[in-house]
Amino acid sequence: MPELAIILAGLGDAFTPANLFFVFAGVFVGQFVGAVPGIGPIMAMAIAIPFTFGMDPLAGIGFLVGVNKGGLVGGAIPAVLLNTPGTPDAAATALDGHPLAQQGKPLKATKMALYSSVTGDTFSDIVLITVSAPLALLALRMGPVEVFGLMLLAFAVISGLMGPSLVKGIIAIALGLLAAMVGTDPEHGTPRLYFGQFELYDGIPLPAIAIGMLAISELLRRLSESRREGNPAVRLPRGQPREDSMVSWHEYWACRFTLARGAVIGTLLGALPGIGSTAAAFMSYATTKQAARDPSSFGKGNIHGIAATESANSAVMGANMIPLLTLGIPGSVGAALIISAFMIHGIQPGPFLFDTQGRLIYGLFGAMLLANLGNLIIGQVGLRFWVRVVSAPESFIFASALLMCFVGVYLTSGGLFGIGVMLAFAALAYVMTTLGISVVIFIIAFFLGPRLEVSLSQTLALLNGDPTKLLNYPVGLVLALIALVTTVFLARRNHDRADQT
Amino acid sequence: MKITKKIKALAAASLVVLAGTAQAEWEPKGNVSLQIGFGAGGSTDTIGRIVAQTMKEQTGWNVIAENKPGGGGIAMFTGIANRPADGTVIGLGVSMPILVNLVNRPDQLKFDLDSFDYLGTAARAQLALIARSDAPFDDVAGLVEYAKSNDAPIAFDAKPQELAMRFVMEQSGAEFQFMSTKGGAENAKLALGGQAIAAFEAGEHLPFLEAGDIKMLASMNKSRHNYAPDTPTLQEQGYDIYVDPVFFFATTAGTPSEAREALTAALAEALESDAVKEVVQNTLKSPIENMGPEGTEQMMRDGVTNVGALFAN
Repeated sequence: MPELAIILAGLGDAFTPANLFFVFAGVFVGQFVGAVPGIGPIMAMAIAIPFTFGMDPLAGIGFLVGVNKGGLVGGAIPAVLLNTPGTPDAAATALDGHPLAQQGKPLKATKMALYSSVTGDTFSDIVLITVSAPLALLALRMGPVEVFGLMLLAFAVISGLMGPSLVKGIIAIALGLLAAMVGTDPEHGTPRLYFGQFELYDGIPLPAIAIGMLAISELLRRLSESRREGNPAVRLPRGQPREDSMVSWHEYWACRFTLARGAVIGTLLGALPGIGSTAAAFMSYATTKQAARDPSSFGKGNIHGIAATESANSAVMGANMIPLLTLGIPGSVGAALIISAFMIHGIQPGPFLFDTQGRLIYGLFGAMLLANLGNLIIGQVGLRFWVRVVSAPESFIFASALLMCFVGVYLTSGGLFGIGVMLAFAALAYVMTTLGISVVIFIIAFFLGPRLEVSLSQTLALLNGDPTKLLNYPVGLVLALIALVTTVFLARRNHDRADQT
Repeated sequence: MKITKKIKALAAASLVVLAGTAQAEWEPKGNVSLQIGFGAGGSTDTIGRIVAQTMKEQTGWNVIAENKPGGGGIAMFTGIANRPADGTVIGLGVSMPILVNLVNRPDQLKFDLDSFDYLGTAARAQLALIARSDAPFDDVAGLVEYAKSNDAPIAFDAKPQELAMRFVMEQSGAEFQFMSTKGGAENAKLALGGQAIAAFEAGEHLPFLEAGDIKMLASMNKSRHNYAPDTPTLQEQGYDIYVDPVFFFATTAGTPSEAREALTAALAEALESDAVKEVVQNTLKSPIENMGPEGTEQMMRDGVTNVGALFAN
């Protein structure tokens, strides 16, 4: 722990006018690219990195952190307004956010997303600033067996989102895992299911699948349903009572347990590299729904659904910095880009960082908190702007969103090939929706599949053919046991409900 | 009136100057695309983007960095091999994954070593075999002894690393287990967490080495590492195999010689700039090493032989 003087000097650095400018500019850029479907904060950060080389390290890194944080808030905006998540992290936000917007309360829905996001983010930043060292040690102890147990638990919890048909849920998971198997096999390094396309060597590009299945299929459906009269994409009822366009303190406070649960889930998963904010958002959503008194109100515009997902996916961002700063291990692509920015300035994240660069690190902490404030302020203004934008005729909105999706996937996923993949998966999503198979479950299985497989293969290497060695990993066993209990509990409850109806 | 005349004269003069340079030097028709064979956010991406930016500043050409991920550069080089050879594209890849596929799946690739004109190299990745500092051994011989009486899981993130250790297994009779991971950072996590007894690292381990949390067992490259001149290579420790990933630049074969020379010169100039030097040193922990067009081609041809030996078993 550095001296108080260094901490104060670092925090002071964050508040210089130049840094304030770069952090707020980052948040602005992040919210914008997050809100425009298709491009996303990762691409913006990758483009910005070479420019940070010429900047002061704190200003450069503060800018990137701003883009990353702004992107998480921005991604929720099209998810709520158009049901087309701007980033995969916001996919779960659409589940309740969009129904609420359709009820004529788009401002209320996006504001709840903004407040939840800032709440989750601030919580995990405080955890990062205060107890990152012990949490990093805990993350180190989570080896492959424990991570595999955690993945089983994640699948068990998310199976609660399956809906009434077990068979259709299993089909969705199986298809998602099948899609996740495309690419190089981690065990032997041989390509599989790639049909001679070297573009598929590293797996199906994630943005192409996420945007194809979540955004394109929805945009096409809405375009096909749109009428000539030029309906606005989102209707703002005239003379709307004030409480329908704002979130009251009472409503926010009523979500406190949901927000806290989301923030804790996001922080814990964020501290473990490789699981990611999309999974955190869905896990938080699923547990909130299962803990609620009226689970059937979810998916119909329940404000708790928005609070659960946005607090969790934003909390991942701060927590990702825990393994990054203490061990030099990035928890996500966004974190890996921030490491690149450190490295081009000759600063290697790792055990010495707090001693050698204490002032910079506390400056960074100050910048992170500032970025949260920036999110809140810029978001307040930005939300009104976006709600105004989408009240333009829907044929304009959907067509331009479609164009942005094409551009974004072209840039991030290997050009025309990525666009082909995106369209193929949009068609698959259309077929799945028609048959009543959940696209969301498919996406989660696809996201978690590679990590599940790698941790299974690592676990098998550790066991070296002797299953009794599992007894050396009590934490992993307990997690697997909780997964089993959760599955049985959820299956029973589903069964009981089916009986009642 | 006088002023406009002056401006006209100046404009005419500058046009003459511009036309003169255009005749003397090759200029790309349109943009130059610097394609990076990996996704955003890795060391290759960082190097590609700073080189593109520096080339753009130095030459005035519109150099655009583009990510073309897939198969460790295979997707990108497939594209480059099948483009018109007009000097408007430069590919940045890493030698190992290309060589591995050339050796193992030559019939499935739409290119071979002759499909490219080589332009130069940026640096080599200094690949180390490391262990936590409290491990009961200090070199490969000690690791082999340990593995004879214990489980010895080794974390790796690319096939050649595993094959090099299988080569050691074959020759020594020890047995390792192999834990496949998603990258050097995860290798470091498994080694520090005690789940892997040894692991492969290309620079991420330096702060831990300084802090004394990690020790280096061997350099996996052909030569020792500049930051650890006392740690011998695997070859020096008695196992005749190496893993030498080099970051190299190439364009489509048959590019006209004046275009090729202009690209080579522009690349060499960019690699000598302070900004690129510093960024490469900081990201890879290796100095700039430009082997030039002939050196790069030779490195790739020698690499085929070495990778052939790796996969011989």
